[in-house]
Amino acid sequence: MTQTRRSTSAGVLHAPASPPHLRRGSLMRQRTIWAYVFVAAPLVGLLVFFLGPIVFSGWVSLHDWNMITPVADMAWAGLDNYIYLLTQDTVFPKALLNTFLFAIGGVGSNVVLGLGFALLLNGKIRGKTLWRVIYFLPVMTAPLALGVIFGFMFNRNYGVVNNLLVALSIPRQPFLGHPSQALLVVIIIAVYQYVGYYIVIYLAGLQGIPQDYYDAASVDGANKWQSFRHITLPLLRPVTLFVVVTNTIGALQVFDLVFATTNGGPANSTITVVLHMYNTAFKFSRMGRASAMAFILFAIILTITILQLRFLRDRTNE
Amino acid sequence: MYDDRLFWNALGGGTKYTILIVGAVIMLLPFFWMVNASLMTAGEIQAQPPVWLPAEPQFSNYTKLLDTVPLGRQYLNSLIITCSTVVGVLFTSSLAGFAFAKYEFPGKNILFYCILATMMIPFFVTLIPVFYIIRQLGWIDSYQGIIVPGLTSAYGIFLMRQFIGTLPDELFDAARIDGASEPKIYFRIVLPLIRPALATLGTFTFIGSWNSFLWPLLVTNSRDLMTVPLGLNSLRLFAAEARNLDLLMAGTTLSVLPTLILFIFLQRYFIRGIALTGLKG
Repeated sequence: MTQTRRSTSAGVLHAPASPPHLRRGSLMRQRTIWAYVFVAAPLVGLLVFFLGPIVFSGWVSLHDWNMITPVADMAWAGLDNYIYLLTQDTVFPKALLNTFLFAIGGVGSNVVLGLGFALLLNGKIRGKTLWRVIYFLPVMTAPLALGVIFGFMFNRNYGVVNNLLVALSIPRQPFLGHPSQALLVVIIIAVYQYVGYYIVIYLAGLQGIPQDYYDAASVDGANKWQSFRHITLPLLRPVTLFVVVTNTIGALQVFDLVFATTNGGPANSTITVVLHMYNTAFKFSRMGRASAMAFILFAIILTITILQLRFLRDRTNE
Repeated sequence: MYDDRLFWNALGGGTKYTILIVGAVIMLLPFFWMVNASLMTAGEIQAQPPVWLPAEPQFSNYTKLLDTVPLGRQYLNSLIITCSTVVGVLFTSSLAGFAFAKYEFPGKNILFYCILATMMIPFFVTLIPVFYIIRQLGWIDSYQGIIVPGLTSAYGIFLMRQFIGTLPDELFDAARIDGASEPKIYFRIVLPLIRPALATLGTFTFIGSWNSFLWPLLVTNSRDLMTVPLGLNSLRLFAAEARNLDLLMAGTTLSVLPTLILFIFLQRYFIRGIALTGLKG
């Protein structure tokens, strides 16, 4: 706190344009007050909708609560909710596994396809803006709407995908209707939706690599593959780090898409942690257990993010 | 040698465009199929052997949809909620971003890091408490219940602080010498200069708010407050029972249209905004 004050006064002393005829003290005080007014709204939002709720959520996760009994009468449960989830809940491990598979499949595909298409679009290409707009359209679309469209296209009886398969003399597939295929189809829809976003990010990264590097490499006799392997890939590592970290964080929280396509079924084959948490909280009114679930997933996300940052950053230093 | 390279380049270019075209077709196919099916009769959609194109475009599907679903009301609700959110987020984010970029005040750094930290908090951790708070406030089934929790945008504050930080201090000092008050500096100098950043943040907020589903689903019960995604959800459940797939596809088409049109007109702001955040990482 004192450090902040000191730097404040230093800033004033060196401010070149501050008018000498004004009383500096009261002017500064006035500006400080205005600064607090300017940040007041987000500050209230921060307290009421983020910091307060996190503490409250942690507190609820140690209780049995149906949101109807007053907060003061919540029954203490200690770590029971956590223990139940990790040892007895039959759906939770399934939800965790599905969520991980969803994240791994989605992130892997997005990195490969995102970088691949960005490389294609990076060179001299006609209609670059048009390509980007086309690939970006699904990013703009509500996951719910895409869920409806794909649910329709992948329908067993009248879906266009099965109609095409039949036209090619391949038997009809249940797709979203069968436990062995549903999760894969959901992953495909998610990749379809977000790959355009990662293409644009990789494209921005590629455009940040100076042409000189490639010129120097080709003077030294490097072929295209060698330039890609030793210039493009290493210099894109920060971008890949960003893609992997943000995509993983997002994928581990998937809700809308699953809700709209399978609602977790069939036989819980596509249930995800957030969907399970939603059901636990708002269908079965078990707020304590749902909050514990939220905290477990939060801890997992934090751990994975830290590991990814460390692993990918360390390799940059090699 | 020279001819040889020309040949390989031409071939390479050809494969390039082939892959891009195949990718683009895959990207567009669901949208095409949605519109295509929305113009079929319910019978054509389920016909076996399949019908690929409508024998005659059934524009009546859209009028039938408008007769059965209060779509106007849903658009109005979405518009009210989305526009309030965009205006609120732009105003509070730019104001706070201005304070964090150009003012010194005790607790500034701690506060800013707290706001940055909220970007790391997944939405589901605060979902139950925020729902509880909204219920205690008596805001269930109200516009403010949907809007207010979305008004604090850590990303917005961060973006605005970065952008306003690049504006020269002399601009503000000159205005102060001329006797301008601090709010006047914000309205007369800062706001006009940060228009591109406002456009970027505004378009992102618009899409996010228009497409948002889980939160409005939780805090509304009545049909009068249904937003476009909520309406699509209930149409989906209705169509699954009644097998009105023609209406469902017409409804889906109308629900995705606004964001797609907005994007096509404002795409450069999106691309720039994404490039900005992407390169930071």
